[in-house]
Amino acid sequence: MNTSSNRRKQVNPVHMPSLIRWLLIALLCGGAGLVYVYIKNQQFALGEEIRQVERRVKEVRAANEVLLARVTELSSRRTLQQRVADGFIAVKPIQDIAIARLTPPTEAVRDGVLRTAFNEGLRQ
Amino acid sequence: MRLKARTRAGIACGVIALIFTIFSARLVYLQVEKHDEYAALAAQKHTMRQVIHARRGLIFDRNGELLASNLPVRTVVADGSHIKDADALAALAAPFLEMPAEELAEKLKTDRKYVVLRRGVPDDKAQALGLAMQKADMRGIHFEQDAIRIYPNGQILGHVLGFLDHDNNGVQGVELTMESQLRGRDGYRFIERDRTGREIMLYRGQEEGAENGLNVRLTIDMGLQAIVEDELETAFRDLKPDMAVAVMVDPKTGEVLAMASRPCFDPNNPGTALAEQMKNRAIIDMVEPGSTFKIVVASGALNEGKVNDKTSIFCENGQFAYGGRILKDHHGYGSMSVHDILVKSSNIGSAKMALMMGDDKFYEYVRRFGFGERSGIELPGEISGLVHPPHRWDKLTITRMPMGHALAATPLQITMGMSVIANGGYLMAPQIISTVEDADGNVVLNKPPRLQREVVPEKTAHFVNDALVEVVGDRGTAQLAKVSGYTVAGKTGTAQKASPKGGYAEGQYVVSFVGYLPAEDPRFVCLVMIDNAKIASSINYGGTVAAPIFSRIGEKAARYLNLIPAQRAEPVRAIPLALGDTSEERVN
Repeated sequence: MNTSSNRRKQVNPVHMPSLIRWLLIALLCGGAGLVYVYIKNQQFALGEEIRQVERRVKEVRAANEVLLARVTELSSRRTLQQRVADGFIAVKPIQDIAIARLTPPTEAVRDGVLRTAFNEGLRQ
Repeated sequence: MRLKARTRAGIACGVIALIFTIFSARLVYLQVEKHDEYAALAAQKHTMRQVIHARRGLIFDRNGELLASNLPVRTVVADGSHIKDADALAALAAPFLEMPAEELAEKLKTDRKYVVLRRGVPDDKAQALGLAMQKADMRGIHFEQDAIRIYPNGQILGHVLGFLDHDNNGVQGVELTMESQLRGRDGYRFIERDRTGREIMLYRGQEEGAENGLNVRLTIDMGLQAIVEDELETAFRDLKPDMAVAVMVDPKTGEVLAMASRPCFDPNNPGTALAEQMKNRAIIDMVEPGSTFKIVVASGALNEGKVNDKTSIFCENGQFAYGGRILKDHHGYGSMSVHDILVKSSNIGSAKMALMMGDDKFYEYVRRFGFGERSGIELPGEISGLVHPPHRWDKLTITRMPMGHALAATPLQITMGMSVIANGGYLMAPQIISTVEDADGNVVLNKPPRLQREVVPEKTAHFVNDALVEVVGDRGTAQLAKVSGYTVAGKTGTAQKASPKGGYAEGQYVVSFVGYLPAEDPRFVCLVMIDNAKIASSINYGGTVAAPIFSRIGEKAARYLNLIPAQRAEPVRAIPLALGDTSEERVN
């Protein structure tokens, strides 16, 4: 029996196209898995970033509102009146002599009715 | 017997296939049959509904001055499932939360996932606690965004604004009546947390944003309110009355420009106030109005043609016997015109005009002027006052009611009644809400002035107006109500105070002045009412106590409103406020 010829007959040739196809499929599956994991990680990382940004925005908004509340309080009538009372601000009533009126007051007219600047008739 | 290789391979494959089939069946059972149960269990473990708090709407005055705003704070909550050592966490957090460590530890020893530890924690303290927990590697406490209501002007306008309870619900004032607009609607989102309690953004679920509350603009003018509050505070301090009220309205529109009561409270700290301090006396207290009510009978009698400008009424020289009782005037008067009856405030003249009208007609005018019914102002707790119908009157009522006795009215009703004369005969509905706006300033709800009814014709109103101008003149009872440079019209009122035991309290008076200026074209009507001022009875009159307060308010208000003086300014007169000379005679 010729063993060398038998061996040659029994050799299974590598079917390259098929091998490459399966290798490609495996690579594709592996790659898809890796991409999936990568994207998932990206999502977590972005989510964390969003969370941090949201927190920061919230903090800034809150700080802004605290400051607004503080400004409101400091500029409130009560505080200003207190500061006037304490002498920090001096307020003097405007004297009539210092008021320049664009529309001079009209006194009694012929019909005997007094007119003021706020009279509806004069507005027209 | 040895099985063939093919058979063995078949058995092995069969066993493996069976095992996989069993696993698959189990998987299908868990994923399909038990899906809802385990999904709910997982959701319960990791998912929670996070509330997104809506911002409560702001309150402004008519010029945009901020009256009520929000201060961001944190609500501190615990998640029991994340706490390992409750005592250690309590010891760490207690100083930041300003709570006893023992009390805090009790709250932290729980399996519940949501326990409110403290509300209203300032932002900086919450952040400091968060950092301290991070350093100590502790978990289980979270911070939720929240806000507390602040009223920057303190007790100024406190009765009108009201305040909130611990759950941020309006309790009183505009906060209560406009609750539905101011509150907004909280949103929510479903979130999942990791083992450290942090939200996993990837698994953020269904979300609905918060709808912030709408802003409310009042008709109040804080410039005028401050003037009124300042004068009322001074009067309350100097005269030590049981209560003091001032109301200022625009007679043409019914808009309330200022409203103040004493005693008062600070809505920032409502818990420290007594119930008596929280009453908005302008709408929930009723008093006998006294002589300010005489405008009703005069208007009615004139309008019904029972009297005219030439009618002379005999005032019985100061003593009028009717119904078995004597009705007296402060001074004895003979015959007087309707004009003079108002100027001199004759009780007898007013009673006789009511008798001319008859019970039913007079009652009709009382009601037409708005007495005995709620005005409908957008404030809670308003009362209707007390006006009995004629079939419940006794013989004396027809002579007592014209001078403001035998009925009760709220200060706001008296002010609106005077507005009828000031605006030419129309009863306007008082209003304190001007508009409701969204955050961008777009008007969502506009409340225009509302006419309730025409009470008397303009001619009648002008007749009464002329008399009221003279009340503040040299012949009248309210000379101290004059405002230099302006024509003032008004009426004083001095009524004995009703005793809770029945009858009248000896030596106690409710004095008032209600007037307007400029009389030719009134910009505001203002009532000042002082209940039981601690001064000698001999000087406790509307014309001596309330009128000077009106005068000071009127002068400042005219300057604030930039009203151009229509008269030559008179030299400033010293106002003999009774206190200086008669402090030793005060009633204690």
